[in-house]
Amino acid sequence: MRRILKIYKPFTHAGLLLAAQYRINFIFFVFGDILRCFITYFLWHAVFTSGSQQTFMGFSEIDMTVYIFITFLTGIVAYSDGAFAVGEEIRDGSIAMRMIKPIRFEFAFLFQELGERTMTAMIVFVPLMAGVELYKFAMTGALCFNIWCFLLYLLSLTLSYLINFYFNVCYGYSAFVLKYLWGSNLLKDCIVGFLSGGVIPLAFLPAGVGFVLNLLPFASLTYTPVMIYLGMYDAPRILMSLGLQVFWLTFFIFLQRIIWNACARRMSVQGG
Amino acid sequence: MIHVENLTKEFKKTIKEPGLKGSIKSFIKPKTEIIKAVDNISFDVPKGEILGFIGPNGAGKSTVIKMLTGILTPTSGTCEINGKIPYKNRKSYVREIGVVFGQRTQLWWDLALRETYAVIKEIYEVDDQSFKKRMDFLNEVLGLEDFITSPVRTLSLGQRMRADIAASLLHSPKVLFLDEPTIGLDVVVKDNIRQAIKSINETEQTTVILTTHDLQDVENLCDRIVMIDKGNKVFDGEIVELKRRYGQSRELKFVPRNIADVEKLNYEKEFGLKGGEIKVENDGHTVSVRFDSDKTAVEKVLGYTLSNLHVKDISVTDADIEEIIKGIYKSGVSPNA
Repeated sequence: MRRILKIYKPFTHAGLLLAAQYRINFIFFVFGDILRCFITYFLWHAVFTSGSQQTFMGFSEIDMTVYIFITFLTGIVAYSDGAFAVGEEIRDGSIAMRMIKPIRFEFAFLFQELGERTMTAMIVFVPLMAGVELYKFAMTGALCFNIWCFLLYLLSLTLSYLINFYFNVCYGYSAFVLKYLWGSNLLKDCIVGFLSGGVIPLAFLPAGVGFVLNLLPFASLTYTPVMIYLGMYDAPRILMSLGLQVFWLTFFIFLQRIIWNACARRMSVQGG
Repeated sequence: MIHVENLTKEFKKTIKEPGLKGSIKSFIKPKTEIIKAVDNISFDVPKGEILGFIGPNGAGKSTVIKMLTGILTPTSGTCEINGKIPYKNRKSYVREIGVVFGQRTQLWWDLALRETYAVIKEIYEVDDQSFKKRMDFLNEVLGLEDFITSPVRTLSLGQRMRADIAASLLHSPKVLFLDEPTIGLDVVVKDNIRQAIKSINETEQTTVILTTHDLQDVENLCDRIVMIDKGNKVFDGEIVELKRRYGQSRELKFVPRNIADVEKLNYEKEFGLKGGEIKVENDGHTVSVRFDSDKTAVEKVLGYTLSNLHVKDISVTDADIEEIIKGIYKSGVSPNA
C-alpha cells in the first residue's frame, strides 16, 4: 500500500499542478454550475410559494434548498472525468504511452484526478458548505450542524467519488468500440444525473421506481451522501447505504479489470 | 537478448462504402476484412547491438515495435526479450525497456519538464543518488539544461525529442526502442541525437532497436538492418552486405564542353552490356552515368569517357544507401532474393 502511494503520489501532485495551470477554465466551469444551481433553486422557490402546503412530499422549502446545494456540492466534488479522459486517450492512441510504463493504468488516472479533485474541494467545498450552514442557521434560527452526519457524509462522498471514477473508466473503455465518446458521454451524464437524484430527490418518485433506483449504483453517487448529510436516514439505513456503496465500488473495480483485460488483448492502437 | 519468431499480427478492418448510403450500411452491418500487418517475421538481436528497422510507410514497422514493447498482442508467433514475453507480463517487462515514439510524447504536456522526470523517477523507483547521476549524464549528452524548467508544450520539436529520449533512459533500460526518433528534426539536432544514442550504446551496452526513414541514421548508427515490406522481412544483414547484394552502383557525373558530343558515347556497345545495365541521363548540362562497378571497372568507364570528349568537370560517387533502398522500395524484393 505504501509503495503504491509512493509510486502514484507524483500523479496526484501533477494533477494539482494541472488544475492550477488551468484555473481560469476551472473557475468558469464552477461558476457555470453555480448558476445552474441557482436556477434550480428559484424554480423550487416558485413551487413552494405557489403551493399552499408547507412541505412537498416530506421536504420543506429549507430542506429542498439545502438538498439542491448539497447535491450540487456532492456532484462537483465526486465528479469524475474518467470516461472522457480514458476515451480520449484511446481515441488518439496516446494510451500506448501509458502502456510502456510499469504502472497500473487506472491508478495513474485515479491519482491524477485525485489531485484535481483536491483542488476543487479546496476552492468550492469550504465556502459552499459554510454558506449552506449559514443559510440553515438564518432560516431556522438554530444551529443544527451534526458532526456525525458530516463525517459520515465525507465517508460516503469518498465512496461515491470512487464508484463514479470506476464507473466512468468502465464506460470510457467503450471508446474501443465507439471510437469517440463526446456525444454518448453527454447522454450518459444526463441519464446518470436523473437516476442518481441529481435532478429531483428519488423520494419524489413512485415507491416502486424509487426502491429500484435506490438499489442501482447511481443512487450511491449523489443521493446517498446527500441524504446522510441532511440527516434523513436513521442508523440502520445509513449502514445499509454505505454497505451498498462498498458493494458497487467492488463491483466496478472488478468490472473495470475484466473489461481492460479483454480490451488489451484485442486492441489496436490508433494513429502512428 | 531479443528473440522473435514467426511474429504475425492481423487487424480487422471495416470497409466503408463511399457516400452517406455506404456509411449507413456499414453502420448497420459492417463489412470487415482481415489485414496482415506483420507476416511471419523472425529475427534475433544480440546484446549491445544497434539494429536498424527500416521499410516504407505502412510496412508494419510500428506494429512490430508495438508488439515488442507489449502494447499489442501478436496474433501468432512469439517474441522474447530478456527472457520475458512482453504482452504476458507487461508491468514487470517494461521496467527493463525504454521506448520513444517520435510522433508521440510521454512527457506531461502542461507541466515543466522537470516535473515529468520527477514522476518517472518515482514510477521506476530510481533512488535519489542514481537519479542525480543519471540526470547529469543525460544533461551532458542531450543538453537538457536550457529548457528543463519550461512547460513541455512550449518546447520546440527538437527539444521535445531530446527530452523524450532522456525520459526513456532515466531508469537505465537494457533495451531501447526508438520509433522514428529523428522525425522532423534539423540536421544539427539529428546529429546530437545520433551522438547521444551512440554514446549510450557504447557506455552501457544498451541494445537499441531503431526505426527510421532517415537512412543517414542507419548508416551512422546501425550495425545491422532488418528491412520489411508489406509485413514481410525482405532483408536482414549488415549494411555492407546490403550494398554488395543490391548493387555496387556508382555514379559518374560530368559536364561536357560541348553537350552534343555525348552522342558519340555508347557505353553499352563499348563494354558489351545489355540495355538497363548502364544508365545514361542527360539534362542538357550535366550527364550522369550509373553503372555497376562489379561488372564494369570504374577506371575503364572514366577512361572511355575522358578519351572521347572534353569535360569541364567530372566526379564519381559511391552509391548511397538511399539509392539502393529507393530501388528496393519501388520494385519490391522477394524475401530470398
